[in-house]
Amino acid sequence: MTFFQALVLALLQGVSELFPISSLGHTILVPALLHWRNVDRSNASFLAFVVVLHLGTALALVVFYRAQWYAIARALVRSVVRGRLSDDRYERIGWLLVVGTIPVGLLGVIFEAPVRKLFASPAPAALFLLANGLIMFAGEALRRRQGAAASRPSKPIEALGYPASLFVGAAQSLALLPGISRSGVSMVAGLLCDLDHEDAAQFSFLLATPVIFAAALLEIPKLFAPGANVVLAQALCGGLAAGIAAYVSVAFLTRYFRSNDLRPFGWYCVVVGAICFILARKGVIT
Amino acid sequence: MRVIAIGLAVVLFVLGILYGMGKINYFTQSGAGHAHHITHLVLLWALALLCLIWARFQSAPRR
Repeated sequence: MTFFQALVLALLQGVSELFPISSLGHTILVPALLHWRNVDRSNASFLAFVVVLHLGTALALVVFYRAQWYAIARALVRSVVRGRLSDDRYERIGWLLVVGTIPVGLLGVIFEAPVRKLFASPAPAALFLLANGLIMFAGEALRRRQGAAASRPSKPIEALGYPASLFVGAAQSLALLPGISRSGVSMVAGLLCDLDHEDAAQFSFLLATPVIFAAALLEIPKLFAPGANVVLAQALCGGLAAGIAAYVSVAFLTRYFRSNDLRPFGWYCVVVGAICFILARKGVIT
Repeated sequence: MRVIAIGLAVVLFVLGILYGMGKINYFTQSGAGHAHHITHLVLLWALALLCLIWARFQSAPRR
């Protein structure tokens, strides 16, 4: 992998991890589209490089939401010491995040490897990217119908119930499929639980942080695996680029979702997914 | 409830150790026989910790 390829993949990872367009799908499709045959996704060095990119992305999320994470951690410790739940906003959000992380932790550990083995090629990734776009359109349509039928106002995050949080967490597990976006499906699930777009995005990013972090930490041994000859400068620059791209992305998206919805990303996924699927079927990308 | 939570925590803790030692192999195979025993150990211990927190919430004096 050249330095330029590493930088492009790092920026792509940082942006697509948070935009609802699937990072896993893009890291499969973009090298295939550009005919980067020297980028072998099963190679130990490449896997180690990806670990550094994930660490950069997770750190960017922690830094962006540092005030919230500090308040959440303090509130959780206080509630455990006290042995009782209180009405504190951050304590409630903290327990909602804990509950929402359980399904993705369990399903991720059980299904991640077999799912990756089954679908890590351009054609399925393109098809799932198309499905990701349709999920976003369906989510927006259902949300509008719910709002019109029941004239229900949006809830703040802390008003979510634990079953709703479990539902959002379970929806996030669909992102094990390459092409399905973690932030996209969890935002759609949040919208269906009566969150507005801004809160659904924030809850989605908060929920993604421990998952991305834990996944990256558990993969750290890959950095020292036999054959993992990571070029230090390449890995550091890649991690930094992924972190900066993720930080800028989350800053943009939190503003964007104050007054916009998921449909533009839905169109992107449907169009790019359809084109890539046709190209994969014709053998242009492999 | 408290007894159930503590019992579950103990079971999950022991299962974690057994995964860590490689005595249990369910859901650990992927690709070319790569094992994920440490991942399972961490997950099971995290769940055991949550069970202990659940037990703690059951045992605190109510006001």
